[in-house]
Amino acid sequence: MSYITLPERSSVSSSTRKLFAGMPPTVFLAFLIIVIVALWAIVPSLFTSHSPVTAVPLDRFESPSAAHWFGTDYLGRDEFTRVVYGTRSSVLNAFVAVGIGLAVGGALGLIAGFFGGLTDSVIGRGVDTMLAIPAFLLAVTIVVALGFHTVNAAIATGITSIAIFARIMRAETLRVRQSVFVESSYLQGGSRLFVLFRHVLPNAYRSVLALSVLQLGYAIIVIAALAFLGYGSPPPAADWGLLISDGQDYQFAPWLVYCPAAVVVITVLSINRISRWLRNTN
Amino acid sequence: MSSIAVLNNEPAPAPTARGGRAKAWPYLAYALRRLVQAVVVIVLAYIITFLVLSVVGANPIASQLGNPQAGLSPSSVHKLESYYGVNKPAIDQLWLGLSRFFRGQLGISLEYHLPVAHLIETALPYTLKLAGMALLISLLFAAGIAYGSQRFPIKAVRGVLRSIPSLFLSVPNFVVGLILIQIFSFRLHAFDVLNPNNLVATICAAVALAIPICAPLCEVLIANLDNETAQEYVLVARSRGLSERKIFFRHLVRPSSLPAVTMAALIIGELMGGALIIEEVFGRTGVGTVMYQAVSSGDTPVLQAVVALAAAVFVLVNLIADLVAPLLDPRVELIGPRSAGGLVRGLGRGFQAGNRLGTRPHR
Amino acid sequence: MATQHELTPADPSENSAAAGGRPSTLLSVNGLSVAYGDQQVVDDVSFSLGRSESLALIGESGSGKTTIARTVLRLLPNSAKILGGTVTFNGRDVTNVSDREFRPLRGTQLGFVPQDPGNALNPVRSIRVQAHETAALLKLKDKAAEKQRIFETFEQVGLPDPERVYRSYPHELSGGMLQRVLIGLAVLPRPPLIVADEPTSGLDVTIQKVVLDLLSELKASLGISLLFITHDLAIAAERADTLVVLKDGVVQEHGTSASVFAAPKSDYTRELQADVPAINPDRYRAARSVRAAAAGEQPTKQIELRSVSKTFHTRDRVITAVDDLSLSVQRGKTHALVGESGSGKTTAVRLLLGLEQLDAGEIVVATETVSGHSRSQWRSARRHLQLVYQNPFTSLDPTWKLERIVREPLDRYNVGDKSERHQRVVEALHNVGLPDSLLCRRPTNLSGGQRQRVAIARALVMHPDVLVLDEPTSALDVTVQAAIMDLLVRLQDELGLTYLFVSHDLSLVRQIADTVTVLQDGRVVEAGSVEQIFASPEDPYTQALLKAIPAVPRLGEDRRVLDHAAV
Repeated sequence: MSYITLPERSSVSSSTRKLFAGMPPTVFLAFLIIVIVALWAIVPSLFTSHSPVTAVPLDRFESPSAAHWFGTDYLGRDEFTRVVYGTRSSVLNAFVAVGIGLAVGGALGLIAGFFGGLTDSVIGRGVDTMLAIPAFLLAVTIVVALGFHTVNAAIATGITSIAIFARIMRAETLRVRQSVFVESSYLQGGSRLFVLFRHVLPNAYRSVLALSVLQLGYAIIVIAALAFLGYGSPPPAADWGLLISDGQDYQFAPWLVYCPAAVVVITVLSINRISRWLRNTN
Repeated sequence: MSSIAVLNNEPAPAPTARGGRAKAWPYLAYALRRLVQAVVVIVLAYIITFLVLSVVGANPIASQLGNPQAGLSPSSVHKLESYYGVNKPAIDQLWLGLSRFFRGQLGISLEYHLPVAHLIETALPYTLKLAGMALLISLLFAAGIAYGSQRFPIKAVRGVLRSIPSLFLSVPNFVVGLILIQIFSFRLHAFDVLNPNNLVATICAAVALAIPICAPLCEVLIANLDNETAQEYVLVARSRGLSERKIFFRHLVRPSSLPAVTMAALIIGELMGGALIIEEVFGRTGVGTVMYQAVSSGDTPVLQAVVALAAAVFVLVNLIADLVAPLLDPRVELIGPRSAGGLVRGLGRGFQAGNRLGTRPHR
Repeated sequence: MATQHELTPADPSENSAAAGGRPSTLLSVNGLSVAYGDQQVVDDVSFSLGRSESLALIGESGSGKTTIARTVLRLLPNSAKILGGTVTFNGRDVTNVSDREFRPLRGTQLGFVPQDPGNALNPVRSIRVQAHETAALLKLKDKAAEKQRIFETFEQVGLPDPERVYRSYPHELSGGMLQRVLIGLAVLPRPPLIVADEPTSGLDVTIQKVVLDLLSELKASLGISLLFITHDLAIAAERADTLVVLKDGVVQEHGTSASVFAAPKSDYTRELQADVPAINPDRYRAARSVRAAAAGEQPTKQIELRSVSKTFHTRDRVITAVDDLSLSVQRGKTHALVGESGSGKTTAVRLLLGLEQLDAGEIVVATETVSGHSRSQWRSARRHLQLVYQNPFTSLDPTWKLERIVREPLDRYNVGDKSERHQRVVEALHNVGLPDSLLCRRPTNLSGGQRQRVAIARALVMHPDVLVLDEPTSALDVTVQAAIMDLLVRLQDELGLTYLFVSHDLSLVRQIADTVTVLQDGRVVEAGSVEQIFASPEDPYTQALLKAIPAVPRLGEDRRVLDHAAV
């Protein structure tokens, strides 16, 4: 009887090392940016000594310089400081939104896909309806009902993304449910619930996770849009969307629009880059 | 010959007189089913909007009418109150609103005392113009980028084209709008922000609206072209001596066009959502601005009507796409109620998986 | 008429003139080396093909045979690079010519018959459109003339209703018909060389024979040269004049069919000969005689199906999958269930395992009537009845570690305690020839053969009495298949297992089975012992199945070629 030998496989840690070694430079840059943004959200005071709220009337509308990287706004406040302090609200709330979509949408999709039949039809109708209402309009409606606050904007964004998560999770669940190894598990004495949580879910969640990363970027944009329209927290809050909105009235001070906008774009771009890279390496 | 496949089939299915196109009777049954589903979804959308606005938002009509600052005379208040039945239970108000909605009566604005339908009607043409232009622009962009990503001679440029959709998805539409205003209005003076119906202004607005919308369309087209290029039949066609251009147009475009049609229907929803913010940025008249005003003044009936109407438009457009699909791709199976909404797996037209991507062979 | 044609339908005398004066080499490949990225897949391969000759490139997966074919046709993907060597067609070096210069050769000089007919035609365009694309190469007068040629070709390839096929879409035709259409389209412009890439894998055996006969006949009547790509040594030996055996991109053997068979020069070829079931029917003769002797005293029925029927009702059709099927399997023996697609063999197996409910009849497993069982009763019955699936790439959960996979039945049925279960898992793995070091791996890195061993280990860990094997080796290479069959035969001997072996491959059945049931369209066509069925089949369908086994020289027990005659 001959044993079949296989080459030695490297341990887990060295395979993650290989992952980072093969990373393209743009992805590395993207990670760096995300880390910086995360730090802005967590410890904003580390990055700037100015105040985001105190008006300094003498310094109004100064263009970007060494002293004020992003210039100053209509109240003389350092724009860079405002952007940094606004990060917490803009970004952390995006996590809330994605969390809601992932948890509720994922659960709905899993149940609908696994149990099928009437459950699937009923959940399906509900989700179809949420998809029919244009996402942004639905978000606005929900914020109107809940009140103008960035957290509510996040909740609204999360609710509008439930449908997308449900759809992807359902598709993946269906795909896995029809797999041969699932049927094989039944033949080995597995019960339905066991199969659901031990076979279907571990195989189905990967795409959904990839979607979550993408949705994070999207949520940042939607929350910024809602804040731009004035539906987020009122001044002196420093949500990125609100900052851009404040800046649009002053033609002669374009940095008030460009700088916060650039931060939004670069952050979301980095998130998308990382998401694409994850998709490619998997 | 897998263990799972139950219906193995060597003998071919019965031949059809018309060689594979949608057969008459099953198609009619399918169309009818889809129509019924469409109506159900519109009703549900109205109900959900009502629940959010009037139930979660704690009966705003009543509070709005009761607000002395609204500047309404007592008789107007009384008339509006009885019109909306504010003292009746929620379910009666819902039924009132729903039945009126289907009859075309969209309520009366609390702000302007005019029928909401009138408000929307006057604003609609502007929004249609904007949305139409945006749709055209995004289709052109997407088609151009997708074609270039496959056929442009320089490899580096092809790579750049491929990463454009990701870039478009990272830029908020209002930011694009503001930048375009900065450049074309403030710098180049091509239009004046106070006169938003100028052609250049409209084009700028349409481009701003189009950019985040053409991205998913583009990605789907590229993914499908990539997928189809790898398909065996493209190889076989090449082995028969067809030129690359012929291969692209005859053998790649048709199978790829189905998901794109599906996506275009989906995009209508994004267009309507984006119109709100773009019209505000450019100061244009339109349904978006109507809604914006309604939010500022708490004019709930207008909100209700606009949102429900938007949902109805979305459903109808998707219904048309669903009815067209079997004609474009003979593989599409006209499955019954369970594939509700005829909706596509993974492409976001809806929840339940149909076979619209045609990836499951008929055998 | 077309200017590109050199061949008119040949007369027989021209073919035999190949040995005479006329320049006869049509295709010549010299020292060809090809790589994908930095991995070399073809290494210094040379062969040549004359007019009206056929040559078969034989190899398992990874042998480079498909790459060579694609190189000849210039259909390589962008990631492939030709490192060296030349391809000469009709006296002209075509290795590095531009695509523009090569394209006129396509279709008119070089034809291609692909492997998977289901994917070889554009699914959203009718056959008519695609046939005219090919016919346009002939530069005929008009569409009507093209249509006539197309119909002539369709008849020549034996399509019964050319008009109907002409109007159909690809998904409306069966695999065999599609392949015939593809052959017809390849032959239509009368190219002197046709490259056929595994033209019959995935088709039923009787259809395979039809397609291969068709190719041979076209070769004879039209004088077309054939370059065959195949993994099946038996088919190659039967149909080709010259054989080239490849392994890992290197030529192992090159010569006429007869000489390669009578005296193979390389070990690999010898191994292949021993592994191909059609060539080596007596591989397990010893084991079979042991089984025959053992059961002589008291045959007990382990499995019995009595008049089982099952009908499926889908939205537009009613399909009778199994109709009045009866069979019985004796304890400790191997019973083969044979049939092509649509025969009902898969349904029968699923009924036996309780994955479907039957409409009529009874199923008895070791004196226990299982057909009416409830879910929990089935669960209990399955301790003794396990299944090995056909596709090892989908039957194992890719996110689970091997240890957990093999242990799953023990966990679900709560057998013993933790250490006992681990013991049994290790034992099962050793039994199938896999080392302990694999326990913490996931299936993704294993080969097909290794995965199938894991699946077998999992099936055996509960010590069942009966193992149902649903085409367990059809997704595997020939040498791997032989290794797995060796394993299965050994395990049966050691553990006294009863096998129900489902297959479409009669030559494999001849090797390992004691008794056979032949199914067609859900009905039993013939049943009996293997000797009886193979020596004197009564039913015409069985006879057709047997005729489909390639007629090749067979090996005797001493592994030397027995005879040069056919079956």
